Formats: sequence, structure tokens, C-alpha cells
Amino acid sequence: MSYEDKIDIRQLNIWFGEKHVIRGVDLKIKANAVTAIMGPSGCGKSTLLRAFNRMNDVIKTSKTTGDVFIGEKNVYENGTNVYDLRRQVGMVFQKPNPLPKSIYENVAFGPKIHKMAKGKALDKVVEKSLRSAALWDEVKDRLNDSAFDLSGGQQQRLCIARALAVDPEVILMDEPCSALDPAATAKIEQLIRILSSDYTVVIVTHNMQQASRVSDYTVFLYLGKIIEQGKTKGIFENPQHELTEQYITGEFG
Amino acid sequence: MVICLLAFFWIVATLFTGFGTLNVDLLTTSALKGGYFEMIVGTVYLFLGAAAIAGPIGVFAAIYLVEYAPGGKLTRIIDQAINNLAGVPSIIIGLFGYTLFSRQLGFGISLLSGWLTLALMILPIVIRGSEEAIRIVPTSFKQAALGLGATKWKAISLTTLIAAMPGIVTSVILGIARVAGETAAILFTSSVIITRGLPTSPFEPVMALSFNIYVKIVARGESPENVFGIALILFFIVVAFSLVAIILRIYYRRKQPWLS
Amino acid sequence: MKMSNKTLNKISSFFVSLKSQPMTVVLFLCASFSIVILFLMLFFVAREGAYAFTKFGPDLLFGMQWDLESNVFGGFPLLFGSLLVTFGALVIAIPIGVSTAIFVSEVLPFHLRDPIKSIIELLASIPSVLYGFIGLLIVVPLMADIFGLPSGQTALTASLVLSLMTIPTIVSVSGEIISAVPKDYKEAALGLGATKWETIKSVVLPIAKSGILASIMLGFGRAIGETIAVSMISGNQAHVASSFLDAVYTIPAFIATHMGEAAVGSLEYSALFGLGLILLIITFIVNTLADVVVKRGVQR
Ligand SMILES: Nc1ncnc2c1ncn2[C@@H]1O[C@H](COP(=O)(O)OP(=O)(O)OP(=O)(O)O)[C@@H](O)[C@H]1O
Ligand SMILES: [Mg+2]
Repeated sequence: MSYEDKIDIRQLNIWFGEKHVIRGVDLKIKANAVTAIMGPSGCGKSTLLRAFNRMNDVIKTSKTTGDVFIGEKNVYENGTNVYDLRRQVGMVFQKPNPLPKSIYENVAFGPKIHKMAKGKALDKVVEKSLRSAALWDEVKDRLNDSAFDLSGGQQQRLCIARALAVDPEVILMDEPCSALDPAATAKIEQLIRILSSDYTVVIVTHNMQQASRVSDYTVFLYLGKIIEQGKTKGIFENPQHELTEQYITGEFG
Repeated sequence: MVICLLAFFWIVATLFTGFGTLNVDLLTTSALKGGYFEMIVGTVYLFLGAAAIAGPIGVFAAIYLVEYAPGGKLTRIIDQAINNLAGVPSIIIGLFGYTLFSRQLGFGISLLSGWLTLALMILPIVIRGSEEAIRIVPTSFKQAALGLGATKWKAISLTTLIAAMPGIVTSVILGIARVAGETAAILFTSSVIITRGLPTSPFEPVMALSFNIYVKIVARGESPENVFGIALILFFIVVAFSLVAIILRIYYRRKQPWLS
Repeated sequence: MKMSNKTLNKISSFFVSLKSQPMTVVLFLCASFSIVILFLMLFFVAREGAYAFTKFGPDLLFGMQWDLESNVFGGFPLLFGSLLVTFGALVIAIPIGVSTAIFVSEVLPFHLRDPIKSIIELLASIPSVLYGFIGLLIVVPLMADIFGLPSGQTALTASLVLSLMTIPTIVSVSGEIISAVPKDYKEAALGLGATKWETIKSVVLPIAKSGILASIMLGFGRAIGETIAVSMISGNQAHVASSFLDAVYTIPAFIATHMGEAAVGSLEYSALFGLGLILLIITFIVNTLADVVVKRGVQR
């Protein structure tokens, strides 16, 4: 496994209106590994994650300074094609959000809007993505059913398949299991481990056990600043910072 | 409340007393032979064309207001203008349509002038209905599409708009119900008391049920019993469209899984 | 008017943002369409009416005589007729409409609300020509019988039918506002031992006051602009009516019946547009005020 840096964040600051939400974050995220972002509610985890594919741009009041390099490219450079960036950096949301379409059409949506494949080739992409998301066997006979007929866990895996279908390099997940039951959560966690061999995965989670189970690296965020970062094992066994220790032992959060 | 209900049933009951005068053969008989054929088809032509013009403009306007409008003064003015347009008396819409479409633009007394004029009356209904329909679609659909790299317009048109379609269609049907029997707006712009057959181009005048009732009673002083048949047909058309709109709305409210 | 630099910047950045997204421009144009239409409407109706206005000034509205032969056009009897009929309609429609709204959104059991609302909506979509027709068929003979009149086509007849047409507007607009009154307030009053009616009177109505007022204004706009039904049942006599049992002519009914005969470009033609302009301005003012009243009410 090669552990070179995939994402490199330098002096990132984000405001919502007057509110300074991300305060001077520097962070490197390794390729082909799972990095977990932890921290108490409202500390800016989602905001930080959404900076990687410029989804904060959608919010009118937001303002961003600093640099985010994905590979060699600074995504906050003028002239960046944000639509291609978001293809390259996929996103899975907290609540499963299938589109009101069939299972097939959900996965095909991305390749279609980017005109990446059609006809037989598109069928192949859909199958491959569903397989990668460990969903193929469960849905292969009912691809034309509505996506809403799936269970919550299946819906979330469908959303992962949908993100994989546009051939991303990075996958961002914002508390992907918080709306799921333990069995479905276990499946997704397993899937995350498998995905990390091909993709760079960044996951936001509230759940300490989850972070320790799935991630290789952990970042602890507090009030918009990074308090501590490093190998997950190290942080959990031997936190350097008092705040981190309090958080891990459940004294606040 | 009770008075409203009574009034409604009273109207329906009275109309049913006139059932005897409605001869089914007359529906397909030409007006030249005393039938209703051209009036019925003319009425349908009028509201379909108007809906076809007002529909797209109204939906686009609604998308702008819900998804794009920056808020602030300009948006408030647009909002106010839509309310004001909805409140303009139909006789004034008729005067305006006559001056602009029939005379200034030279469309004359024609189907086209009628379409454009009636479209102005449908427009506010479509905008308000579509706004509502778009607003209740969860933003998560749009988010999903944006997250996959769709442009804002693609995300909205391929997800939000499609999910809102039943509500939008309902609002257009409601708009049709509101103008199917409109008289004042077509009085000077598109209708005549009799034509030889159906119009063959948008630049020809049309017959309409509402126009016929009005002119026969007010200008010619005929007794209301004489137009009972026409009034009944118009009543059925309007009530049918209203009912379809109401039922569609209830049905889709129950059916859409993301609303539950 | 002097514009500050800040607003100028705002406006220019607004247009720049439009330029970068072609679809936004299309959507924006569709949304602004209503504004454009309103301006065009004012312009064209005013243009056609200008001739009569310059000739008669305020007499167009307050002159007593409308006479084609001597080319004198004064619309006072029509203005009076319009106001009389509208006033009568509102006197009937307001109590019924407001109490219906309260009943539907506060008293009626939940599962009955939607069907009743649907019926009211149906009532609203019946075209005015049918209201006129029904009025002629039922109300006109009834009036003649009750009051022993030679003709039942009176101001009162028009007011009655018009009230029926105005009630749906009042019910739906004020009903919406009444049901938007927060539950907490009502429960607080009920919790203090107030009866349902006391709660409505002391909590719901004061909060919903502005909405009810707005609904009445919109109803007024509806009623004063109503053309077809009124012209079918009000007798169409251009004189200052001495009572509600007199026949009257209203401004919109007069326009509807006279436009066909007036020669294009003649003084009468222009005078009709002049009356139209006045009507348009009245409804503009009423509708705008209604909006302002609602927004004020919501802010508080
Ligand atoms: N659209 C927005 N407008 C204004 N403020 C916002 C917006 N989105 C988030 N914020 C604020 O930014 C801060 C960080 O929000 P963010 O969603 O990133 O937190 P989080 O760490 O993901 O919290 P949670 O664990 O609850 O998801 C919060 O204080 C929040 O109130
Ligand atoms: Mg979050």
C-alpha cells in the first residue's frame, strides 16, 4: 500500500456570513486509506469535508480562503471546473438520499450527466458500481424498482454505488451510518474498509468505536481548529492533547 | 359555511333541472345548424393554447423564485407584481389584450389574441402552484445531483423539477379551470357569435361557450332558458377540471414517499 | 434619486452573475415577465385613455352625464353603481366569509377540512358567466317576487350574487392566516380555562386580524372588478340609484357592453379606457395594500 498524500490543505478558513467556522486548518490526507474526522457537534466537520469538493460554494453566505490540493491541483484556484471536481471527489450524505427514480437510474444518473457512458457500456458501469457497493446481489433482479423500495441500509449503499459510478478518486462520507441500524452500519463499515484499497476515503463520524474500527488516520477537530491528528491507533491509545482525551473518554461531545 | 354549502348544492340542483334541455346530438352538431360543436371545441382550443403558453413561463418563473432568487428588493417586487397581476380584473386584461395583441401587434380578433390574453390570467396561478410544488421537494435530491457534479440547472431540472411535476401539472389544470369559462378577457380579443366551422389558423376568430351565453343574454336579450344547454356544458367542463386538479393533489400528496 | 455606490455595485454584480449562467437569465426573464406585463398594461390602457382624460379631467369620473350625442362622458353614475354593488356584496360576504374561515380552520373536525376546502375551491372556479346565468335564472325572479318589482334586476341582486363570488376569496385567504396562528398561543388560553369561543375571540382573531383585513381587501378588489355576472343581473341603467332595489350600471359592466359599439379612436372609446385605467389603479392599490398588511402582520 502506498501512503502518499492525496489531499493537502493549507491555511483553510471558512466563514458563513460573519461566523468563522473553519479557522486556519492545515491537514494532509493519505491516499488509499480511511481518514476519520471527529469532534463535537457544530465544530465544523461537515464544513471541512464539504470544502474538499467545494460543496460549500452552494451556500450563498459562505466564504473560503486558503488552498486545498487534491493530487497536484489546487481546487480553489481560479478556473477550476467544480463540476468535474465533484465527479472526481464523490460525496455520500448523512441521510440516504436516493433520487425519486429507479435503482438503475440512480446509479446511471452521474455517468449520464457527465456523458461518460450509454447503452451497454452504461449497464456495465451500473453493474460494476453496484458490485463495488456490495449491493448487486440484492438488487440485480429488480433494477427498475423505485429506489425508495429499498431499506435504509440498502439505500445508503445505493448512494455509495451512485458516487462510485462516476469513477471518483476520493470519497467523502458525512456520518453515513447515523440514520442506520447496527446491522446496516456493520455492512457499510465493512464496505468502507474494502473501498479504501481503491479510493481515498474521508469519513465524518460521531461514533468513536466506528472511527477506531474503520479508519487508519484520525483528525480531531474542535471549534474549527485541528487539535490533534495522526494514526488512529495512536490517538485512541495515547492521546497527546487533553481535549482529545476528554472527547474520547466521553466527557463531552 | 352552511350558506356556502347550500349555495353550492343549490347551484348544482338548479343546473340539473336544465338537464332535459341538453340534447346529446347537439354536442356534435355544427353551430350553423343550431348545435354546440364549434363552441365546445373553440373553448377547448382557447384554454389549451393559453395553458401551453403560460405553463412553461410560469414554471420557469417559479423555479427562479424558489431556487435562484437572491431575496431582497427585486425579488419582493417580482412577488408583488405576480399578486397584482392575479388581481387585475378580467375586463382590464381584456382591454389590454385587445389593445396590445389585437391592434398593436395586428393579430386581430383571433385565437392567437385569445391565447395570449388568457395566458396572462393562468400565469399567476401556475406560478403560485408550481412554487408550492417545488418547495415541498426535499433539497436532498438537488444535493445528491450537485454532489455528483451536476450544474445547478441540471440538478434542479433533472431531480427537483421532475419530483415536482405532479404538483405543477395540477396547477396548470387549476389554471385551465379558472379560464375555461372566462368571458370578459375574450370578449374583444378572440370570440365571435358564430363561425363557419372551426378556425383553420390561429389568426381566425373562434366561438366559445361563455361568449355565447353572455352575448345571447346581454346583447340579444334572450331568456336564460335558451342557453341552458350551453351553460350546462360549460359547467361540466369547469367542474371536471377543478375536480381533476383537486383529486390529483390529494392523490399525489399521499403517494410521494418523501412527503410522508 | 441618488444611488449609493454600494447599491450600484450590488446591481452590477447581479448582472455579472446573470451573464455567467445563461439558464439563470432565462429563468429571471420569466419571473420578471409579470412586472413587464403590468407596466405594459398601465401604459397601453393609459395611452388609449389619455385623450378622454385631457378633455374631461376629473369630470370623466365625477361628471353626471354619459351622452354620445353631445360627446360628453362623465362616469359618476357608474362609479356610484360600482361602489354600491361592491359595498352591498361585502356587507354580506364579510360576516359569512370570516365566520366560515374560523369555523373551517378552528372548529371543524380535521378530516372534514379538506373536503370543505375543496368545495370552496370549486365554488371559486365557477366562471362568472355561470354565476350571472344562475342569478338570472333564480335570484332575479325571486327578487321581483319578494319586493313586488317589475324587474328583479337590481343592485341588491348583483350584491347577492357577487357576495357568493367573493366569499371563497375571503375564506381561503383569511382561513390560511387563521390556521397559521401558533398552536402554543391557543393551548395557553385553553389551559387557562378559556372556552373555545373565548380563545378564538381573545387569541386567534387579534393575531389573525391583519390577514382577515387583507382578505377583505382582496375581496373588494374581486368584487369591484367583476364584470360579466354583474352586467347580466344588475339591470344596466346609467343613473344614480336611489336604493338597493334600483337597477344600476357598474364601471366594468359598462365597459363590457359599450366597447363593441364605440368607434376605435373616438372620444367615447377613449373614455371607456379612461374608466378602465381608474379601475386598474384602484385594484393595484387595493392589492398592494393587502400584501403590505399581510407582511406587516406576519412580521409582528
Ligand atoms: N449554511 C450555514 N449557514 C450558516 N451557518 C452554518 C451553515 N452551515 C453550518 N453552519 C454553522 O457552522 C458551524 C459548523 O457546522 P458543521 O455543520 O460543519 O458542524 P458539524 O461539526 O458537522 O456538526 P454536526 O456534528 O452537528 O453535524 C455550526 O456552528 C453551524 O451552525
Ligand atoms: Mg455535520
